[in-house]
Amino acid sequence: MQRAEMERAMEELHPASYGWALSCCGRNREEAEEVLQNVYVKILEGKARFNGRSSLKTWLFAVIRLTAISQSRRRALRDVLTAKWARREIAPVATMPDAAAETSQVCASLVDALRKLARRQREVLELVFYHDMTIEEAAAAMHVSIGAARVHYQRGKKQLLAQMNGNR
Amino acid sequence: MNDDLLRQAFAELRRVEAEQAPPFHGPYVEPALSRLRSRLKPVLRLAFAALLLIIVVLSFRRPPEPSISAWKAPTDFLLATPGRELLQSTPDLKGIRR
Repeated sequence: MQRAEMERAMEELHPASYGWALSCCGRNREEAEEVLQNVYVKILEGKARFNGRSSLKTWLFAVIRLTAISQSRRRALRDVLTAKWARREIAPVATMPDAAAETSQVCASLVDALRKLARRQREVLELVFYHDMTIEEAAAAMHVSIGAARVHYQRGKKQLLAQMNGNR
Repeated sequence: MNDDLLRQAFAELRRVEAEQAPPFHGPYVEPALSRLRSRLKPVLRLAFAALLLIIVVLSFRRPPEPSISAWKAPTDFLLATPGRELLQSTPDLKGIRR
Protein backbone atom coordinates (compact mmCIF):
# COMPACT_ATOMS: atom_id res chain seq x y z
CA MET A 1 0.00 0.00 0.00
CA GLN A 2 1.38 3.39 -0.99
CA ARG A 3 2.11 5.88 1.75
CA ALA A 4 -0.36 8.50 0.51
CA GLU A 5 -3.04 5.84 0.23
CA MET A 6 -2.27 4.65 3.76
CA GLU A 7 -2.44 8.21 5.10
CA ARG A 8 -5.83 8.68 3.49
CA ALA A 9 -7.11 5.41 4.95
CA MET A 10 -5.78 6.31 8.40
CA GLU A 11 -7.48 9.68 8.20
CA GLU A 12 -10.77 8.01 7.30
CA LEU A 13 -10.45 5.59 10.21
CA HIS A 14 -9.14 8.24 12.61
CA PRO A 15 -12.34 8.81 14.68
CA ALA A 16 -12.83 5.05 15.06
CA SER A 17 -9.14 4.58 15.86
CA TYR A 18 -9.35 7.28 18.49
CA GLY A 19 -12.39 5.59 20.04
CA TRP A 20 -10.55 2.26 20.09
CA ALA A 21 -7.41 3.85 21.55
CA LEU A 22 -9.58 5.39 24.27
CA SER A 23 -10.98 1.97 25.02
CA CYS A 24 -7.50 0.39 25.16
CA CYS A 25 -6.30 3.11 27.52
CA GLY A 26 -9.19 2.96 29.98
CA ARG A 27 -10.69 6.11 28.42
CA ASN A 28 -7.69 8.23 29.38
CA ARG A 29 -7.48 10.81 26.63
CA GLU A 30 -3.82 11.75 27.02
CA GLU A 31 -2.71 8.15 26.91
CA ALA A 32 -4.99 7.41 23.97
CA GLU A 33 -3.56 10.32 21.99
CA GLU A 34 -0.01 9.21 22.78
CA VAL A 35 -0.78 5.64 21.74
CA LEU A 36 -2.41 6.79 18.51
CA GLN A 37 0.54 9.03 17.69
CA ASN A 38 2.98 6.16 18.27
CA VAL A 39 0.86 3.93 16.07
CA TYR A 40 0.90 6.47 13.24
CA VAL A 41 4.67 6.86 13.58
CA LYS A 42 5.11 3.08 13.49
CA ILE A 43 3.03 2.84 10.33
CA LEU A 44 4.66 5.81 8.60
CA GLU A 45 8.13 4.53 9.49
CA GLY A 46 7.23 1.14 8.08
CA LYS A 47 7.73 -0.68 11.39
CA ALA A 48 4.14 -1.91 11.18
CA ARG A 49 3.22 -3.13 7.73
CA PHE A 50 -0.21 -4.01 6.42
CA ASN A 51 0.02 -7.36 4.65
CA GLY A 52 -3.59 -7.58 3.50
CA ARG A 53 -4.40 -10.73 5.46
CA SER A 54 -7.29 -8.95 7.20
CA SER A 55 -9.16 -5.72 6.61
CA LEU A 56 -7.17 -2.54 7.18
CA LYS A 57 -9.41 -1.60 10.11
CA THR A 58 -8.84 -4.95 11.85
CA TRP A 59 -5.09 -4.67 11.34
CA LEU A 60 -4.98 -1.05 12.53
CA PHE A 61 -7.00 -1.91 15.62
CA ALA A 62 -4.63 -4.81 16.40
CA VAL A 63 -1.65 -2.43 16.13
CA ILE A 64 -3.39 0.09 18.41
CA ARG A 65 -4.20 -2.61 20.94
CA LEU A 66 -0.66 -4.01 21.04
CA THR A 67 0.87 -0.53 21.25
CA ALA A 68 -1.45 0.41 24.12
CA ILE A 69 -0.59 -2.81 25.99
CA SER A 70 3.16 -2.37 25.56
CA GLN A 71 2.95 1.31 26.49
CA SER A 72 0.97 0.51 29.61
CA ARG A 73 3.53 -2.18 30.58
CA ARG A 74 6.40 0.25 30.05
CA ARG A 75 4.62 2.85 32.16
CA ALA A 76 3.98 0.32 34.93
CA LEU A 77 7.63 -0.77 34.90
CA ARG A 78 8.80 2.84 34.98
CA ASP A 79 6.50 3.52 37.90
CA VAL A 80 7.93 0.53 39.77
CA LEU A 81 11.51 1.52 39.00
CA THR A 82 10.98 5.06 40.14
CA ALA A 83 8.98 3.79 43.12
CA LYS A 84 6.16 6.03 42.06
CA TRP A 85 3.63 3.56 43.34
CA ALA A 86 4.84 4.20 46.88
CA ARG A 87 4.22 7.92 46.63
CA ARG A 88 1.10 7.83 44.53
CA GLU A 89 -2.17 8.39 46.26
CA ILE A 90 -5.14 6.43 45.19
CA ALA A 91 -7.20 8.79 43.11
CA PRO A 92 -10.28 8.22 41.05
CA VAL A 93 -9.54 7.61 37.39
CA ALA A 94 -9.60 11.02 35.76
CA THR A 95 -11.06 10.51 32.35
CA MET A 96 -12.92 12.84 30.07
CA PRO A 97 -13.24 15.56 32.72
CA ASP A 98 -14.75 18.17 30.43
CA ALA A 99 -16.80 15.68 28.50
CA ALA A 100 -18.36 14.08 31.52
CA ALA A 101 -21.02 16.73 31.70
CA GLU A 102 -21.90 16.33 28.06
CA THR A 103 -22.10 12.59 28.26
CA SER A 104 -25.58 11.38 28.80
CA GLN A 105 -26.60 9.26 31.75
CA VAL A 106 -26.63 6.17 29.53
CA CYS A 107 -23.07 6.84 28.33
CA ALA A 108 -21.81 7.42 31.85
CA SER A 109 -23.45 4.25 33.04
CA LEU A 110 -22.05 2.32 30.07
CA VAL A 111 -18.49 3.60 30.62
CA ASP A 112 -18.76 2.81 34.30
CA ALA A 113 -20.00 -0.72 33.61
CA LEU A 114 -17.30 -1.29 30.97
CA ARG A 115 -14.58 -0.40 33.46
CA LYS A 116 -15.74 -3.22 35.71
CA LEU A 117 -15.33 -5.87 33.00
CA ALA A 118 -12.25 -7.96 32.33
CA ARG A 119 -10.01 -6.49 29.61
CA ARG A 120 -10.81 -9.05 26.92
CA GLN A 121 -14.54 -8.97 27.62
CA ARG A 122 -14.48 -5.18 27.35
CA GLU A 123 -12.44 -5.32 24.16
CA VAL A 124 -14.69 -7.78 22.36
CA LEU A 125 -17.85 -5.91 23.36
CA GLU A 126 -16.45 -2.59 22.20
CA LEU A 127 -15.27 -4.04 18.91
CA VAL A 128 -18.67 -5.58 18.24
CA PHE A 129 -21.03 -2.90 19.54
CA TYR A 130 -18.98 0.28 19.23
CA HIS A 131 -17.06 -0.51 16.04
CA ASP A 132 -19.64 -2.76 14.36
CA MET A 133 -17.20 -5.61 13.86
CA THR A 134 -18.15 -9.25 13.66
CA ILE A 135 -16.89 -11.58 16.39
CA GLU A 136 -14.47 -13.07 13.83
CA GLU A 137 -13.02 -9.64 13.07
CA ALA A 138 -12.84 -8.84 16.76
CA ALA A 139 -10.98 -12.10 17.37
CA ALA A 140 -8.46 -11.18 14.67
CA ALA A 141 -7.94 -7.70 16.15
CA MET A 142 -7.49 -9.19 19.61
CA HIS A 143 -5.23 -12.03 18.48
CA VAL A 144 -7.45 -14.67 20.09
CA SER A 145 -9.33 -17.62 18.62
CA ILE A 146 -12.91 -17.16 17.48
CA GLY A 147 -14.07 -19.57 20.16
CA ALA A 148 -12.35 -17.59 22.89
CA ALA A 149 -13.76 -14.34 21.50
CA ARG A 150 -17.29 -15.83 21.57
CA VAL A 151 -16.88 -16.86 25.21
CA HIS A 152 -15.58 -13.40 26.16
CA TYR A 153 -18.46 -11.83 24.24
CA GLN A 154 -21.17 -13.89 25.93
CA ARG A 155 -19.80 -13.52 29.44
CA GLY A 156 -18.97 -9.87 28.95
CA LYS A 157 -22.40 -9.00 27.60
CA LYS A 158 -24.10 -10.77 30.46
CA GLN A 159 -22.01 -8.92 33.02
CA LEU A 160 -22.37 -5.61 31.24
CA LEU A 161 -26.15 -5.86 31.17
CA ALA A 162 -26.18 -6.86 34.83
CA GLN A 163 -23.97 -3.92 35.72
CA MET A 164 -26.02 -1.44 33.73
CA ASN A 165 -29.29 -2.70 35.13
CA GLY A 166 -27.78 -2.45 38.58
CA ASN A 167 -26.67 1.12 37.95
CA ARG A 168 -30.14 2.18 36.92
CA MET B 1 -31.82 -4.15 28.48
CA ASN B 2 -31.33 -6.09 25.27
CA ASP B 3 -28.83 -5.97 22.41
CA ASP B 4 -30.55 -3.09 20.65
CA LEU B 5 -30.45 -0.89 23.73
CA LEU B 6 -26.83 -1.85 24.23
CA ARG B 7 -26.16 -0.89 20.62
CA GLN B 8 -27.89 2.46 21.15
CA ALA B 9 -25.82 3.15 24.24
CA PHE B 10 -22.61 2.31 22.39
CA ALA B 11 -23.69 4.43 19.42
CA GLU B 12 -24.27 7.36 21.76
CA LEU B 13 -20.83 6.86 23.30
CA ARG B 14 -19.28 6.63 19.83
CA ARG B 15 -20.98 9.85 18.77
CA VAL B 16 -19.76 11.72 21.86
CA GLU B 17 -16.19 10.43 21.55
CA ALA B 18 -16.03 11.04 17.80
CA GLU B 19 -16.86 14.68 18.48
CA GLN B 20 -13.97 14.86 20.93
CA ALA B 21 -11.46 13.22 18.59
CA PRO B 22 -8.62 15.60 17.79
CA PRO B 23 -8.22 16.44 14.09
CA PHE B 24 -6.10 13.99 12.16
CA HIS B 25 -3.83 16.43 10.39
CA GLY B 26 -3.03 18.82 13.21
CA PRO B 27 -1.68 16.91 16.15
CA TYR B 28 -1.18 13.52 14.53
CA VAL B 29 0.40 13.20 11.15
CA GLU B 30 2.53 16.36 11.24
CA PRO B 31 4.23 15.59 14.58
CA ALA B 32 4.58 11.99 13.45
CA LEU B 33 6.34 13.13 10.29
CA SER B 34 8.49 15.64 12.15
CA ARG B 35 9.43 12.93 14.64
CA LEU B 36 10.33 10.75 11.72
CA ARG B 37 12.47 13.53 10.26
CA SER B 38 14.06 14.33 13.61
CA ARG B 39 14.92 10.65 14.02
CA LEU B 40 16.45 10.53 10.57
CA LYS B 41 18.48 13.72 11.01
CA PRO B 42 21.03 12.38 13.52
CA VAL B 43 21.48 9.26 11.40
CA LEU B 44 22.12 11.35 8.30
CA ARG B 45 24.50 13.63 10.21
CA LEU B 46 26.41 10.67 11.57
CA ALA B 47 26.68 9.13 8.12
CA PHE B 48 27.93 12.42 6.67
CA ALA B 49 30.50 12.83 9.47
CA ALA B 50 31.71 9.26 8.96
CA LEU B 51 32.07 9.86 5.22
CA LEU B 52 34.01 13.08 5.84
CA LEU B 53 36.28 11.29 8.29
CA ILE B 54 37.02 8.53 5.80
CA ILE B 55 37.86 11.09 3.08
CA VAL B 56 40.17 13.01 5.44
CA VAL B 57 41.91 9.84 6.64
CA LEU B 58 42.42 8.60 3.08
CA SER B 59 43.74 11.91 1.79
CA PHE B 60 46.23 12.37 4.65
CA ARG B 61 47.45 8.80 4.70
CA ARG B 62 51.22 8.67 3.93
CA PRO B 63 52.61 6.11 1.50
CA PRO B 64 54.22 3.11 3.24
CA GLU B 65 57.83 3.62 4.49
CA PRO B 66 60.40 1.89 2.20
CA SER B 67 62.50 -0.85 3.72
CA ILE B 68 66.04 0.27 4.80
CA SER B 69 67.67 -2.57 2.83
CA ALA B 70 65.97 -1.44 -0.36
CA TRP B 71 66.92 2.23 0.13
CA LYS B 72 69.13 3.89 -2.43
CA ALA B 73 70.76 7.28 -2.12
CA PRO B 74 69.65 9.75 -4.74
CA THR B 75 73.30 10.34 -5.75
CA ASP B 76 74.02 6.64 -6.06
CA PHE B 77 74.43 6.92 -9.83
CA LEU B 78 77.57 9.07 -9.39
CA LEU B 79 79.40 6.04 -8.01
CA ALA B 80 78.83 4.12 -11.21
CA THR B 81 82.12 5.29 -12.83
CA PRO B 82 83.56 3.79 -16.02
CA GLY B 83 85.80 0.74 -15.33
CA ARG B 84 84.22 0.23 -11.94
CA GLU B 85 83.85 -3.47 -12.53
CA LEU B 86 87.68 -3.81 -12.69
CA LEU B 87 87.94 -2.46 -9.18
CA GLN B 88 85.21 -4.72 -7.86
CA SER B 89 86.51 -8.00 -9.34
CA THR B 90 89.58 -10.13 -8.45
CA PRO B 91 92.22 -10.20 -11.20
CA ASP B 92 92.94 -13.61 -12.71
CA LEU B 93 96.67 -14.14 -12.14
CA LYS B 94 96.78 -17.48 -13.99
CA GLY B 95 95.94 -15.78 -17.17
CA ILE B 96 99.08 -13.54 -16.99
CA ARG B 97 102.01 -14.91 -19.04
CA ARG B 98 105.66 -14.02 -18.71
